[in-house]
Amino acid sequence: MPEIAIVTDSNSGITQEAGRKLGIHVLPMPFMINEDTFYEDIDLTQEEFYEKLASGANIGTSQPSPESVMNLWDTLLKEYDEVVHIPMSSGLSGSCQSAMILAEEYKGKVQVVNNQRISVTQRQSCLDAKLLAEKGMNAKQIREFLEADKFNSSIYIMLDTLYYLKKGGRITPAAAAIGTMLRLKPVLQIQGDKLDAFAKARTTNQGKSIMMNAIKSDIESRFGGMTEDKHIWLQIAHTANLEAAQEYRREIEAVFPGYDIHIDALSLSVACHIGPGALAFACCRKIEG
Amino acid sequence: MSLQQIDAKLLSRMFLAGAKNLERKKEWINELNVFPVPDGDTGTNMTMTIMSAAKEISALGDGIDMRSLSKAVSGGSLRGARGNSGVILSQLLRGFTKRIQEEEQLTISVMVESFEKAVETAYKAVMKPKEGTILTVARGAADKAKELYENGVTDMESFLADVLEHAKYVLSQTPEMLPVLKQAGVVDSGGQGLIEVMTGALDAFLGKEVDFTVSADAGAGTISSRRQNADEPVDIKFGYCTEFIIMLSKTFNIKAEMDFKAYLESIGDSIVCVADEDIVKVHVHTNDPGLAIQKALKYGALSNMKIDNMRLEHQEKLFRMSAGKGTAAAGTEAADMKKADIDKASGTAAELPPKEFGFIAVSVGEGMNEIFRSLGVDYIIEGGQTMNPSTADILEAVDKVNAKTVFVLPNNKNIILAANQAAELTADKDLFVIPTKTIPQGITAVINFVPELSADENEANMIREIKNVCSGEVTYAVRDTVIDDKEIRKGDYMGIGDDGILAVGTDIRGVAKDTIAGMMTEEAELISIYYGSDVNGEEAEAFSALVAESYPDCDIELQYGGQPIYYYVISVE
Repeated sequence: MPEIAIVTDSNSGITQEAGRKLGIHVLPMPFMINEDTFYEDIDLTQEEFYEKLASGANIGTSQPSPESVMNLWDTLLKEYDEVVHIPMSSGLSGSCQSAMILAEEYKGKVQVVNNQRISVTQRQSCLDAKLLAEKGMNAKQIREFLEADKFNSSIYIMLDTLYYLKKGGRITPAAAAIGTMLRLKPVLQIQGDKLDAFAKARTTNQGKSIMMNAIKSDIESRFGGMTEDKHIWLQIAHTANLEAAQEYRREIEAVFPGYDIHIDALSLSVACHIGPGALAFACCRKIEG
Repeated sequence: MSLQQIDAKLLSRMFLAGAKNLERKKEWINELNVFPVPDGDTGTNMTMTIMSAAKEISALGDGIDMRSLSKAVSGGSLRGARGNSGVILSQLLRGFTKRIQEEEQLTISVMVESFEKAVETAYKAVMKPKEGTILTVARGAADKAKELYENGVTDMESFLADVLEHAKYVLSQTPEMLPVLKQAGVVDSGGQGLIEVMTGALDAFLGKEVDFTVSADAGAGTISSRRQNADEPVDIKFGYCTEFIIMLSKTFNIKAEMDFKAYLESIGDSIVCVADEDIVKVHVHTNDPGLAIQKALKYGALSNMKIDNMRLEHQEKLFRMSAGKGTAAAGTEAADMKKADIDKASGTAAELPPKEFGFIAVSVGEGMNEIFRSLGVDYIIEGGQTMNPSTADILEAVDKVNAKTVFVLPNNKNIILAANQAAELTADKDLFVIPTKTIPQGITAVINFVPELSADENEANMIREIKNVCSGEVTYAVRDTVIDDKEIRKGDYMGIGDDGILAVGTDIRGVAKDTIAGMMTEEAELISIYYGSDVNGEEAEAFSALVAESYPDCDIELQYGGQPIYYYVISVE
């Protein structure tokens, strides 16, 4: 049985500390803030990030440098036989593409998973990879398994404002159509690929109800329904909005009694495009039923 | 010994006389509305409904028989139905004619059965039938008819007279059944309308010289004042209004379009020719529709063809004019609608590409309309508060929206039934009527639409969400009355919430503020204020600031609605 290292980036929401506990290696994402480079969870905390965002600082995102990626792999391969690398969604960043090119040098020892996950669903993929490795799969089998499983997840995000989405130019045409005369809280979705428009709400409660119904509908129509074995992970993510996330958890528990619900801060590279005050609800189908 | 049977000719005269009698009493019936708001008038709605049927009867000419008469009455009233009482009236007529269409002559026994059928049909059309309304009056009449028949009454004249007498008695009892009527000191307006129809019909049966003179103010409702050109003499040079769509099989470039238009100009006027990628919508008034059609066939197959003889219509109109000014106004409705058609055609007829879901909203006021459009509504039916659109208006809108599934937002409780009726008459599209009773409910519904969900899921979501928004409207009273133990004087401002009057007073700002106070809930997050055309922006800003001060935990959003009559439309959610 090969010894396999699981690598992801800080978009998974897995902190350096949590990574050490889980045995998952986390590459910090670099941020350029007013010309200076910071690394998520290394020299840039969530609080600092939102402070800079609120102060109107010019924040840019970047990929982990090829050097940092290869250094990590090289170090790990001294200790492990293979590496499974799970980067943020290829629909949102070039990180995955770059990693795939770099991995070509490693003769199959590094398997880059292109399963288009982000944040809480990316985190779940890492946990799944860990589990699959323990079950005896090799890196290639894990990659294939996770890629086949990629659409078994769904994320809905309610934004507090359209401001950052507009500013970052990340609005897809559909999302742009949301801009109307009325003040609205757009609800976006990530189905493996880009951030896209899903619905709109006027109040937080409406938005929460829209996301709740959307997840319910996804579970019913795509993930085999709500069954006794509760084969679904539920996740809440937020941008500087922990209190609301905890309140939302209580509401979700009432609708999905007995389900696992994980709360995470939404990764900063998403946060910098949607701003603070956002709330997300996501689900993943558990692997192997 | 008087007449014992009624043939199709007599019945059509009775019907027209009934329609005219209702028309004559229209304004008076409008006054019976419980809420003294300047809108949603029962008399106007019922009259327009029945006039739509009367028009179809007039078009039948001499060859009238029971079958064609039934079809005209049923189809005409169904399509022309406006407002709740209008829809119920149309259902009564539909049930009635369903039973009689196989007969040559109406006997008392047939009448008894057709009354029963009428009542049964109308009750079915209303989701929650309420007693003390037009339904009760109709059922009282049907029950009495049955009783008379079973008691062996054989004389038609006394039969009809007794039925009417009893219906009047039932009407007089409606305030005992509905407390709101009693408090306001009125009988049910829809029931009164039905009595007027029956009275006119009996007069015609008795051969009475039906008095067609109409008091000067009879036509002065919202409708006729909007159709001021009704009395202008019309010189019809080209007799046939001809409309069709060419489904292009050949290229139709600018040159072809100009040639075609030039040809149409050589044979007629009032030309509209709008070309899209693969269709051309054509409208022309001509004396030889055949020529236009021949020419058009060169470019492709034709569809949606419609040819009306405008001289005949005009004659009907003249006939009605001699019968009374008000009737004339209603009679030109069709002509005006066509004009509206053309206006729309020239603006938007270029058919949009088909889509999965479409939205139709009933709205009034440029601000409101713009808000609905910006939220993705495809087609706005102007009306609602000042003028309830008919089933036909809604059907026409449905026709214009190129989508497989169309959601209709009536945005007024008095339009929901007409919309439901339109849904039943629509075969080629799935029509979902979301029962929005107010503009804020309509806005909430469309906001909650999610393109990726199924129509059924969307319907369920929208219906659930509209219950979570409280609506309020601030308007003025058109007469003195008492509702919900609140005394209202003509000219007072009043705030109306989802369940009744929330505030009354002489100070508009105070009334609006009290209205919001009456709508507030613990969970409220957002107060939206849409100000009407009679409120200036500065006053609205000041009012909005005042509200913000009173409710620091809520977001306040002020928008220009531009709606008439309603100073403020407010939502709390």
